[in-house]
Amino acid sequence: MSTLSTGPEHDASPIIPIPGCLIPLKTTLETREEVKTLRVHVTAVRPQVASGTLGLIRTLLPKDGGFDLQHLRRFAKPETLPASVVEEYTSLSSSRAEGGERVIFLILAATSLIPSSALAESLEAHLESKVPLVEISVPLLAPTSAAQAVAWSNEYWPCVYKKSNPFGPHPSLVARAQEEVEGGSGRWMGVAWEAARQAADEGVGEGVGVCVVERKAGGEGRCVAVAGDLRWKGWGGRDQGGSGNVTAHAAMRAIGMITNSLSQAIPSSTPTIFQTSQHLPLESSPLIFPPDPDGYLCHDLEIYSTHEPCVMCSMAIVHSRFGRVVFEQRMRATGGICADGEGGLGHGMWWRKELNWTMLGWEFVRDGDPETKRLIDVDEHLNA
Amino acid sequence: MSSRNMSSDEHALHATYMNEALAMASHALSTSETPVGCILVHPLHSILARGLNATNRTRNGTMHAEFIAISSLLTSSLPGSLKTQTWKARADMLRECTLYVTVEPCIMCASLLRQFGIRRVFYGASNEKFGGTGGVLDVHRGNGKMLSALGTSSGRDEVSEGRDGEEEKEREEGDYEVSGGWGREEAIVLLRRFYVQENGRAPEPRKKGERVLRLDVAPLGEGVSS
Ligand SMILES: [Zn+2]
Ligand SMILES: [Zn+2]
Repeated sequence: MSTLSTGPEHDASPIIPIPGCLIPLKTTLETREEVKTLRVHVTAVRPQVASGTLGLIRTLLPKDGGFDLQHLRRFAKPETLPASVVEEYTSLSSSRAEGGERVIFLILAATSLIPSSALAESLEAHLESKVPLVEISVPLLAPTSAAQAVAWSNEYWPCVYKKSNPFGPHPSLVARAQEEVEGGSGRWMGVAWEAARQAADEGVGEGVGVCVVERKAGGEGRCVAVAGDLRWKGWGGRDQGGSGNVTAHAAMRAIGMITNSLSQAIPSSTPTIFQTSQHLPLESSPLIFPPDPDGYLCHDLEIYSTHEPCVMCSMAIVHSRFGRVVFEQRMRATGGICADGEGGLGHGMWWRKELNWTMLGWEFVRDGDPETKRLIDVDEHLNA
Repeated sequence: MSSRNMSSDEHALHATYMNEALAMASHALSTSETPVGCILVHPLHSILARGLNATNRTRNGTMHAEFIAISSLLTSSLPGSLKTQTWKARADMLRECTLYVTVEPCIMCASLLRQFGIRRVFYGASNEKFGGTGGVLDVHRGNGKMLSALGTSSGRDEVSEGRDGEEEKEREEGDYEVSGGWGREEAIVLLRRFYVQENGRAPEPRKKGERVLRLDVAPLGEGVSS
């Protein structure tokens, strides 16, 4: 079909898809090691009055005062609890230690909602018996895996894994999307690397390139923009030193190329430093499809980058509302996408709800011995 | 950098420059752009460039005022000996320049300024949603690197100690000084006027109550993509 979409019947293509796979990125929240916990009052009651007690709590503190406890079992048998919880309760209720009396534990309320004295008083008035309260910590948010649910159940209180993920995109959403993009990802990475090579060979930029892909739901993607880095163009070359034209990073250029073709865009009437016109041979391949002229920014497009974009480009990708981001080379010192990784900045900008826009993200890992990977050399402190 | 240690002359000078940036923001408002404006000021050459948000005109969400101002610095005709200077030489002047911008630079622009090596930034309103110089990240200090697992970025609570000529211990290449709150009320009023204006244009008019122009200033900025 094209030089960009190499199929078996088109061997003339200069771009060779890179064999590899996609590894979903971690979010900032998933990377944080600490478990956020909530202090709650718990007690134990006879099974006959268990649901009545909970009813009382529901009246006293409707909707648990706004705390979502859905990931915690409300009731728990003593044998399913960490020993410390049971022991503490037993020490408080020792005055009536009647050996084998069967009880069931339950979570009453967050300690921040009501002091234990007031809570005990309310319950005792209805249950007509002493209600010893124990304060414990429970995980504030839902576990993100079955294994985590088990670990937390052993340490805090029985937890339920509901296949939801408050710390990042839903795992099933990621899996479905990955199925959609993985097959073609090597081809788009190949295009991005070719743009990088052309930029480096011509000396107009660093060896960084991107390829932007548009995909109608579930369908094959098609390339709508290719851009290489052009930071040294107009600068007098890399020998001049300095950062070069920072606005000419590959991702910034690709965004400009896409939005230039929006029907309502008014081009600048004065000269600018923005390198949003096609310059490298690959960028004006007739086989790049024109982007939707009625689109909005780069809404839901996919961007494949040879390198992890710098902080500026990462935020530009967020501002432009890309739907998916894939990159190969991590840039620990300067990259804005990754949340994890020793020595990285930790910004995790691909999925931060506070930035008003989240996307899906993957690291592309090419097959074979990493030592033999033929990547174009860039400085590890480069802002890609 | 703190306004407490400033002479009143110095204070007045910054306020004057911020008014120039506000004039740019005002101009943006009159052309249906998000009202954010900025100027680049050089200690010898005074105002070298101006910028205002152009995201609506260009349909490009990255065309923030800071990009426009830097582009202008590198490409527009400058006075006297500066006229013939290359992009590189003009960009080098940013190391001496102060940016006055009506709203805290967003993360993208904070990084742009860092990479181009801006000397310092004075801003008006805080940018709680996208701010890159304190709002969300501290890109101006150590590229905002996360220091702890709790997500606090570097230096939020530390006071900038650089003004006595004493080297900041952990100052990194590219770090720049930032001071906020200059002309903040005016900046926020412009933003509010913009939202009222744009809502008035929306095909489905919002409820009347939401369109009332509030000129009082809330404790926090509106969080625009500046
Ligand atoms: Zn970049
Ligand atoms: Zn910005």
